[in-house]
Amino acid sequence: MNKQHERTPQGSATKRRTAGRKNFDTAPTIISGKNYLSSYLDDCYHHTCLSLYQNPPIGEIGLEEFEVWAIERLKILNEIDSALKRNKPFQEIELIVLPMLNKSLPLILSKDQDKNTENRRKDYYSHFILKLCFSRSAELREKFVKCETIIFKVRFESMSGVEQRQFVQHMNLPWEYITSAEKAEMSQQLYTSIQPSLRFQLNLTDEISRRDYFEKEEFIKIPFEYVPELISSRSVFLKQGHAFVPKFQQINLLTLEFTGNLQKTLISTSHAFPTLDEEDRLIPILNHLGAANNFLEDDSVFDELMNSEVNSVTVKSTKITRNFPLCASHLMDGLTSAHHLKYLARKQFSLFLKWIGLSVDEALKFWASEFTQTMGMDKFEKEYKYNFRHDYGLEGSKIKYKPWDCRKILSQPRPHAGEYHGCPYRDLSKDSLKAQLKSMGLKDEEVYGVLEINSKGDPTASCTKVLELKTNGLVNEIVTHPNLYYDRMRVYHKKLDDTEGETAAEAES
Amino acid sequence: MTSSESQEKSQEPTTVPSSSTSEASQPQDVQPKAKVSSSDMEFYYKNLLPFRYVFQWLNHSPKPSTDFTMREFAYEFQSGAYRRYNSFDSLEDFKESIVKNNPSRFEVGAVYEINPRDRKSVPKSKMKPMEKELAFDIDLTDYDDVRTCCSKTAICTKCWKFITIATKIMDVALREDFGFEHIIWVFSGRRGAHCWVSDKRARQLNESQRRSVIEYMDVLKNKGTKRLNLRRPFHPHVQRSIDLLKAEFLDIILNEQDPWADDQAAFTALLKFPLEPLNKKLKEYWIENPGRSSLDKWSDINKICTDLSLQKYDLLAVNETKEELILEATYPRLDVEVTRQMNHLLKSPFCIHPGTGNVCVPFDSKNVFDPTKAPNLHQLQNEIIGWKGDNEVNDINRTSLKPYVESFGKYVTNLLKSEKNGKREREDESLEF
Ligand code: SF4
Ligand SMILES: [Zn+2]
Repeated sequence: MNKQHERTPQGSATKRRTAGRKNFDTAPTIISGKNYLSSYLDDCYHHTCLSLYQNPPIGEIGLEEFEVWAIERLKILNEIDSALKRNKPFQEIELIVLPMLNKSLPLILSKDQDKNTENRRKDYYSHFILKLCFSRSAELREKFVKCETIIFKVRFESMSGVEQRQFVQHMNLPWEYITSAEKAEMSQQLYTSIQPSLRFQLNLTDEISRRDYFEKEEFIKIPFEYVPELISSRSVFLKQGHAFVPKFQQINLLTLEFTGNLQKTLISTSHAFPTLDEEDRLIPILNHLGAANNFLEDDSVFDELMNSEVNSVTVKSTKITRNFPLCASHLMDGLTSAHHLKYLARKQFSLFLKWIGLSVDEALKFWASEFTQTMGMDKFEKEYKYNFRHDYGLEGSKIKYKPWDCRKILSQPRPHAGEYHGCPYRDLSKDSLKAQLKSMGLKDEEVYGVLEINSKGDPTASCTKVLELKTNGLVNEIVTHPNLYYDRMRVYHKKLDDTEGETAAEAES
Repeated sequence: MTSSESQEKSQEPTTVPSSSTSEASQPQDVQPKAKVSSSDMEFYYKNLLPFRYVFQWLNHSPKPSTDFTMREFAYEFQSGAYRRYNSFDSLEDFKESIVKNNPSRFEVGAVYEINPRDRKSVPKSKMKPMEKELAFDIDLTDYDDVRTCCSKTAICTKCWKFITIATKIMDVALREDFGFEHIIWVFSGRRGAHCWVSDKRARQLNESQRRSVIEYMDVLKNKGTKRLNLRRPFHPHVQRSIDLLKAEFLDIILNEQDPWADDQAAFTALLKFPLEPLNKKLKEYWIENPGRSSLDKWSDINKICTDLSLQKYDLLAVNETKEELILEATYPRLDVEVTRQMNHLLKSPFCIHPGTGNVCVPFDSKNVFDPTKAPNLHQLQNEIIGWKGDNEVNDINRTSLKPYVESFGKYVTNLLKSEKNGKREREDESLEF
């Protein structure tokens, strides 16, 4: 899909105007009367509120709908993604996501068949449009699968038992609910196999409630090949090649199936819309998709920063440094203690500072004030000045260098002892990270929470959590860039100062 | 090839009878009576190895199919050279190549999408294993902490009991839990056994499914290198294994091997009770009364419990720990990788173990197999030379290999029958061997 040249806003705008209404698929459209569409979707949803999204979407869709629907769904996916990054348990995510789904993508069936079809269309198309957008890179695909699986799970859990059963029956899996006679016959083995899961997974702490649960529970008979995880952990009873899975584990089976399906189709998805000149329609959505990553593309942010009061002196004040992400504080610490930074650290820090609004002249003053504590001014001028001017695009190729984002920072060689570049969430030992987090003013339990997240190996997730904590939960954005972190913190503190100013003024009057 | 096997070649076989073993049954060495020469091997391949059965076993039909023709075989030579990715078009081709190349042994691998011979002409990603028998590997070297009768490469009928009980435990799980039917055990030629499951369903398992099977079986987690942390109540498979092992534990561990007569060994292996006073008391008692036998030490546990007048609840915990100790000492110690990896190669049945000259004969977990009486190549050669009977009789039938070949033949016939029933569509083909 090499259509870079069409990515200019003007180009797409004109194209979009002429494109008019488009069909997802020409063939079925011919017979796609209202009734046909309605029964087609009925099938896709197994007559319930849930779909595996296996058949392609059919019928017409307006441009307006195309864009609006996709973006509404994208908002939900982003919400889930950020909740996952912050390690929220499923129950909590469910509380956030279910109201969103009910509002923007409701699927609850009503008597009004037209309304049902309309709701399903929106859900179905938005899924496929985003699938197309997210099929572009492995990273996006993974995110899509994760978030859509959560939606699937949330919806499944919200269905009634009857609906759940109906849905499962339509999945055509080699499943069978066992009869109560069969259950009675092997009740001893069934119970001992699931007792630990009842205890640790469902938190049924006393034997009576576990027995109770077991008596009411239904069991599904399924070839053992379908449930490798449950076999590995010996969490189900096995007999003659069949696993006997308690119904409360059923959602795991279903999500496994859902995830597997989605992964398989994601790569081939670009063929899902055969007659669609999709690129120009996708641009607004893709822009939205990348919004968090390229917030720096927005020049107004830069302009505003340039007017800030960051100069060679204030840059060291807490008013500024309180907004720093840990990587920046760490660089500042390194610089002020050693009065020197090595090449990678210099580069990382100088570009960061430039984009928080430190002008080139102020930057040179700032660096000189530190470096000249261990060297003469002429050495600084001769050996370092050029570098810093270069970062500002005043020397050499005169490129307007962008500050490094987290990914770039994380892809550099790791720091050795005495080096300060990189990302502290990845590079510091657990003990020094703990000390750093404490000195950032986090409470003990918050520190442990962050360390726990950090042990999962995604440093930006820890940084995201810290940003959330430092803003009292007001900023939930995923940290992808130290300057984004800085900007969000700055805005947060500004608001805080303003309201404090107001209350102070009120008190005075 | 497993690394332990490659090591074993360089080790001088030794037998170290334990001082605590009763004199009545000295360890019997399954060591080479004489070195196996390449002409011995050539003779064996030409006249004795039952190629037809091995071919049918891997082919699942009398006529060559892709189950055989797309399958990888590897050769290992006396020089140590190792050649992978051989494949054969037919039984004749198979035998001819092995006789001609005369490897010291050959290994069986997976069935590939692309003929293994042609692997160079396709991208590496295309060399995906499609099917393979589900295989397991158990080796007595992994039992050295509880095996006192022999050490290193030596084995005797006493320590073979570990393998026998392992085959029983695995066999019942594979049949009753997983529903497999076509299971054969093969003596590895020295001190272990391989298990091959040939059911279609087993052959089609992917790696994550194979992993699930081995993790289900591998109660000790990697030969007991990880802490045993079993959930209670025991899963039916673990419970059934414990029931089988309890009697064997008394016999093999407490009476015969007696590994905890050594006080240090007992401290490490036994003092794992969740009640510190009990551990402490036991240790004190064994320090005061050194060298008590394993049987004595085992009953000391109950005695000290009574001395400490433990509550019912604590006694329950002690009994649970005792069950775990039984598992740790006797539950099958499995080589996880052999089962998990689809492209793992394993020595074929009826190969000659290059170090011992023993034939890697198949055996049935239901009958007692005695590895010290396993046919040996030199013995077979002598039997043929010394044959006084009917001249019409072929070489196999002049030797003690005969019953093994016959029972393997029966096993393979059964496998082919059920494969054919599975494939119903084929017209009746006579199964001639
Ligand atoms: S996650 Fe990014 S912003 Fe946060 S400390 Fe690491 S590199 Fe800096
Ligand atoms: Zn022995």
